[in-house]
Amino acid sequence: MELYELNLWMLMEGLKAGKFTASEVFTSCKNRIDKCEGNIHALITRTDNEMPTFSKDGTLAGIPTIIKDNLCTKGLRTTAASKILGDWRPPYDATAWARLKDSGAVLMGKANMDEFAMGNTCGNSAFGPTHNPNDITRVPGGSSGGSAAAVSAGYVPFSLGSDTGGSIRQPASYCGVYGFKPTYGMVSRYGLISYGSSLDQIGPFARTVRDLQIVMSVISGHDKMDSSSFRNKPHDFTHNENASIKGKRIAVVKEFAGFTLDAPIEDAMKRTIKILEDEGAIITEVSLPVVSKYAVACYYALAMSEAHTNLERYDGVRLGYTVKDARGIKEMFERVRSEGFGAEVKARIIAGTCLTEPTRCEEYYVAATKVRTLIAQEFSRAFGETDYILQPVTPSMPGKIGESDDDAMKGYEADLYTLPVNLAGLPGLSFFTGYAGNLPVGLQLIGARWSDSEILDAGMILERHFGSPKISDGGVN
Amino acid sequence: MAELTFTPVIGIEIHIRLKSDSKLFCSCSTDTDAPANTNICPVCMGLPGSLPVMNHRVVEQGMLAGFALNCGIRPKSLFFRKSYFYPDLPKGHQISQCDLPITTSGYIEVHDSEGKLKKIRVHHLHLEEDVGSLHHSASDGRLEGADTSYVDYNRSGTPLAEIVSEPDVSSSKEAVEYVMTLRRRVIYSGASDVELEKGMMRFDANVSMKCSDGRWGHKVEVKNMNSFKALERAIEYEIKRQKKIMLQGGEVIQETRHWNDAKGITSPSRVKENYRKFIVEPDLPPLYISQEWIDRVAARMPEMPDVRASRYVTDWNIPQEVADLITDDRNLADYFESCVKAGANPVRAAHWVRTEVLRVMNEKGLKISEFTMKPETLAGLVERVDGGKLSTTQGKEVFDYMCANNSGIDDAVKALGITEGGVAGNALADIVASVIAANPDVLDEIKSGKDKKGKKLKFLQGLVMKETKGQAKPNEVAEAIAEAVK
Repeated sequence: MELYELNLWMLMEGLKAGKFTASEVFTSCKNRIDKCEGNIHALITRTDNEMPTFSKDGTLAGIPTIIKDNLCTKGLRTTAASKILGDWRPPYDATAWARLKDSGAVLMGKANMDEFAMGNTCGNSAFGPTHNPNDITRVPGGSSGGSAAAVSAGYVPFSLGSDTGGSIRQPASYCGVYGFKPTYGMVSRYGLISYGSSLDQIGPFARTVRDLQIVMSVISGHDKMDSSSFRNKPHDFTHNENASIKGKRIAVVKEFAGFTLDAPIEDAMKRTIKILEDEGAIITEVSLPVVSKYAVACYYALAMSEAHTNLERYDGVRLGYTVKDARGIKEMFERVRSEGFGAEVKARIIAGTCLTEPTRCEEYYVAATKVRTLIAQEFSRAFGETDYILQPVTPSMPGKIGESDDDAMKGYEADLYTLPVNLAGLPGLSFFTGYAGNLPVGLQLIGARWSDSEILDAGMILERHFGSPKISDGGVN
Repeated sequence: MAELTFTPVIGIEIHIRLKSDSKLFCSCSTDTDAPANTNICPVCMGLPGSLPVMNHRVVEQGMLAGFALNCGIRPKSLFFRKSYFYPDLPKGHQISQCDLPITTSGYIEVHDSEGKLKKIRVHHLHLEEDVGSLHHSASDGRLEGADTSYVDYNRSGTPLAEIVSEPDVSSSKEAVEYVMTLRRRVIYSGASDVELEKGMMRFDANVSMKCSDGRWGHKVEVKNMNSFKALERAIEYEIKRQKKIMLQGGEVIQETRHWNDAKGITSPSRVKENYRKFIVEPDLPPLYISQEWIDRVAARMPEMPDVRASRYVTDWNIPQEVADLITDDRNLADYFESCVKAGANPVRAAHWVRTEVLRVMNEKGLKISEFTMKPETLAGLVERVDGGKLSTTQGKEVFDYMCANNSGIDDAVKALGITEGGVAGNALADIVASVIAANPDVLDEIKSGKDKKGKKLKFLQGLVMKETKGQAKPNEVAEAIAEAVK
């Protein structure tokens, strides 16, 4: 077995026991990246030229990692997969990355993504698409497709992504890894290039639930630089082998019952319910009528409204892409933004601008904020009746690259299972259930706000039944 | 047909820089005079990934300013994103409380044309961040036509309070009194220094005209006034302009106009007002202010100047105009009250502060905080003059000497060769004797009875006063000479 194939907790134990060195781990991962990257294109920037110095006594001392390229890295190009950021090198580190670095993690690269995290295929990148390492003709999902593909292909044992409407959970499911979207406020967003600020949350990808727990214990906790980060005492993500879901209520959503799912996903739902019953959980049903009817519209109204203001700062004045020969400031703004942003980003900026302009603001943006409150209340009521909600991550298996580009609305609706979680600020785990042919199938477990560690405990129980995902062939066998 | 009359309807928006060492949403220094772009960080530069964090000290400054305008404090207020593109605005939107501000309504009292007190209602005060400052290479210093423009973000994110009045102002005079009174009260509250020359107070005015024939002209927003004088002139110009249009039967166009101080005119804004939209700032939680917090900050509110002036009049019989003058400046009033506390008679102390202290401050261009004479020292001087130890003239000499040499009273008295309590008794008799001895012919004339009009006596008195350096009381000198020539 190669070192790059080891999971995070195994690498930590092996390094601690002196079975191998950090340098050997680094080289193994680097070789794996060299081997697969040409097929997968998971990275925008590689930083694995040579082994950097790292904090020797931290939790993650010497552990290679990859982070999504919308997380600021001091002095290192950060692009959000957009041309508009040019060669920008942030003067500061994102808090989540700083915490990883302080605990000894070694950065191997910055992961590809949909531009400004807008998309669910990883195809909206100014740097070209990422390929699914299980089947390189297919999309890895998005927007954190690069981060998911990198873990799946064994580049690194864990990575960071961000999730605004499913951007961690959906690519985790498509690539066959675990992806966790924490409760809004659990991980500091400082240094995460904003898409929809009230929806964005940073979270980890890994090949075991236990690894997710380790990463969460490092990156979670209050940060005074982010007013939305929670102030209470840090959550305990300690791995508990004896965790049980006996007597816990696990619900499926009544309104989702009629929706069509691809057969492997439908099948995975049935198998998962059976496992949960066998573990002593009580299977129940909750009703989420507002979510099922209005969540998609509400989500896009809010996300685009916030996004268009978050993206107002890209004007070519202070950083990134600019034009030198514009006549006047107006032309400069117009050209920088016309040439710098990709099509999907422009579409969302235009939509966001329309949704918030004074004559429509009440009807769309303000209405959406009210619907959001209803959705949060609906979930809150639901979590009075159940402990977890089990549902798909997506209704369909990963498509072929280029396939979903024709119908944008279809892509938007595919997010119905993921984005309500962001609207309500809930934690959601995308977990691995097995393979249909060469493609992995994932499902999703959702809990009430701040039930993050309980969800991970439940995920660990499911992992025992389904087994951990294997490292994908990365297009090279 | 009766002549048409016009009533101006004016609302005023004021931006005031709040006093704070650090910016509204980051910990950068608010020193805008520092070399360009040295007091900046990812937050006030609006760098990707940065997030604003509320500076709670500034919230308190906003509360103080609100109290000064008789406003209430809202238990929950929100921040919004006010979008427009401009190079000095790093995020492409300004974070402002525009739609749900920290304060409720308030008012400021001014005198109307008949001299009666009138309330100008304050709609609200809200907190917002300032933008950076632009420096253009164009000859007129404006953005249009400039080859190169430079942006200094030191000012970006410094805290502002925007104060919006109801359209209750009816003249340029009321407008000026409104902003002056408001400024004085805000300075008193400690919320801001409002130094006009540093651009800490900027005005916009909404002017429209109501005609006696029932017509009501459109509202015109006049921008770019940075002084009381500019505000007054701009409003007067706009009133005249709109009146003329309406008299000719025309229609005033609703627009934004730019005040050109050099030319003394308003003209349509060259830059089209950018279209503005507001969404709730998702990176900041609602601002919750508890009653306990309100009470704590309210306890810091000093007595307002008008209340203070009334107290001087009622408790100490100080003339209203003197009381107004002294309370105009909180520090000056504090200085005066320290004098009184140190034992000075209030009326006398007020007189000294108004005449001598203000004179020296004006001559030397000092603020009261830079005036070196301690209030206790001035109190001592006032007491000595009141007690007759020093004449008023001597008192002023001592005052000037102390100001010039930064000395105490005793040193000044000694240096000036002053005999405290004046020359009297034997000392006076000795001087009189020596003066008479030196002028035997005058004595003879008096004794001969020729000095019927007392001219010679006056002459001797003059000589004696001169010898005593004016330190003898005139009646005592007259008595002493009368005694000596008997």
